[in-house]
Amino acid sequence: MLHNTTMRSLLSSLTFSVWGWVFFSLLITSCVKEAQFDNNPEGNLDALWTIIDEHYCFLDYKKETIGVDWNIMRARYRQRLSKSMTNAQLFEVLAAMLSELRDGHVNLYAAHDVGRNWSWYEDYPRNFSQELQDAYLGTDYKIASSLKYRILPDNIGYVVCSSFQTALGDGNISEVLSYLSTCNGLILDMRENSGGSLTYAELLAQRFTNERRLVGYIAHKTGRGHADFSKPEPEYIEPSLGIRWQKRAVVLTNRHCYSATNTFIRDVKGCPLVTVMGDQTGGGSGMPFNSELPNGWSVRFSACPMYDAQMNQIEFGIQPDIQMALSEADRARGIDTLIEAARTLLNK
Amino acid sequence: MNRLFLFIGCVLGLLCCDPVAAQETMSFRRASRTTLFGVGGARQQDTYLSPLNYRGLQLNFLFGTQRVTHLLDSCVTFQTLLQADFTSTTNAPEKATYLGGVVHFDAAWHYSFCGSAVVAPSALATAGGRSFRLLLGPQVGASFGGLYNTRNGNNPAQAIAEMHLSASAAFLWRFRLWKQPLVLSDQMDIPLIGMMFSPAYGQSYYEIFTLGNRDHNICLTTPFNAPTLRNQLAVDLPFRRCTLRLAYLADFRQSRTNEIRRHTYSHAFLIGWVRQLDILRPRPTPAPSH
Repeated sequence: MLHNTTMRSLLSSLTFSVWGWVFFSLLITSCVKEAQFDNNPEGNLDALWTIIDEHYCFLDYKKETIGVDWNIMRARYRQRLSKSMTNAQLFEVLAAMLSELRDGHVNLYAAHDVGRNWSWYEDYPRNFSQELQDAYLGTDYKIASSLKYRILPDNIGYVVCSSFQTALGDGNISEVLSYLSTCNGLILDMRENSGGSLTYAELLAQRFTNERRLVGYIAHKTGRGHADFSKPEPEYIEPSLGIRWQKRAVVLTNRHCYSATNTFIRDVKGCPLVTVMGDQTGGGSGMPFNSELPNGWSVRFSACPMYDAQMNQIEFGIQPDIQMALSEADRARGIDTLIEAARTLLNK
Repeated sequence: MNRLFLFIGCVLGLLCCDPVAAQETMSFRRASRTTLFGVGGARQQDTYLSPLNYRGLQLNFLFGTQRVTHLLDSCVTFQTLLQADFTSTTNAPEKATYLGGVVHFDAAWHYSFCGSAVVAPSALATAGGRSFRLLLGPQVGASFGGLYNTRNGNNPAQAIAEMHLSASAAFLWRFRLWKQPLVLSDQMDIPLIGMMFSPAYGQSYYEIFTLGNRDHNICLTTPFNAPTLRNQLAVDLPFRRCTLRLAYLADFRQSRTNEIRRHTYSHAFLIGWVRQLDILRPRPTPAPSH
């Protein structure tokens, strides 16, 4: 009797285990996996091409504007591969393929180099001199996080914001605007600011509006197709609850204004008391994501497109209200043409 | 041990009860508490963060309770399980790392098909009667946590938040090996339907949480888009006043939502203990009829 009971228990356990393994087998056959590419030159190129093909957000736009047909890139660059090529040679081929997109947010990172296309500012006049900026700031300027500021002799506030990488808080901005509150106007020098955090850019932009303003739209990819995008959602700038600038302001730009700074210029351009002066910004309106290749190299690419309030692309930059260039004659005399033009405008 | 609890229960009862409650009789409710620590391996993939597979170490902590209920002639046990998983995995070239942490909480009601319910496998060894129990029942659960990639920029992490209704099945089998009473148990949980959070295919967390834009971020999960299985095989060895438990946990969690593919396959060996408790509770006495 005991023997029969034991046998029945054993059989029941076995039955249960068999069912368990049936479920397990079904699960294995329905595994949720992404296809893996081999870690060789072809596999890495295919992986990179696929990442951009499925995730990059400007493929159709770049085809329209600069004629980049991504569908033919894989075959074109595969011809440059060989099994005996070195890592450095492979890097060169892959970086060249990415460079076709002419996007500052598209990079390939390896231990020995960064693949890039910086033509968005390298192909244009700089309209900026660090020596001149240092001369205007002097040595007794104040620093509030990433903001350097002082009052110029004609009672114009001069603020340099060279990066949105460093943490910028409401308290920093309030201190700056409070210190400059007796000035007749404000020059906000954004030249050479190549971006950083959108949050800091938005905090600063909120100081230049007294009302909620529609400043643009943002979308994201919803699938692997080149045209799979979500409905663009409006973006608004809310007026800051802290000190807001109520006098005229001039924002200086050059081609090096990129990414979050490009978005900042989008946000403040059109504010009633703000004039954007200088050169067209560098662009970079796609929020970048990261991915990686089978050999471990990291890839950065534009993933979420942002537009202006009229749903225009701003990937290749934003035009200023007043086009202004730094003249060589002024530079030789130790004068920054843009700062002087801004002072003249604010003193009128 | 039982006498100790009976004594403590009686003392507390005398201290706390009122005269009406004094007319109540006492009843035992059998319960058990399980504590396990585990170590094992994990394979992870999350295409929102990277298309590559990551492999590495997983540490587990499990705390479970089980008690016999009064449902269906005391044939139903109520089980709760808190499971915390911590992972550190790297990609094949070992140039990036995922750091993950997830807490799973599950509650299950098991009906015992082969005899009265027992609260723990160890209890079966002294329960007498049939040596095999088959348990089936529903389970509800939720998981919260995240997976962080150490080198990504605007897509550095993936949040994990999901709820599910599962089918849970288990067996307990008492047997002797070299005159040593042992209990073998296996529990399998398969989510049947649920909900989980997922960003859209290329949606940033900045857009979801800073701008407040939603786009199908709560997704329905079924075995078709989220085939998942949790299986724990355990052997209980009575050891003085406790029961030592050795277990193997196979945990296969995967999903395909908004074209984002995710999976965590893990295997872990667990060791811990099971403590059986007899909880003394008052049971109202039927009023005498006149």
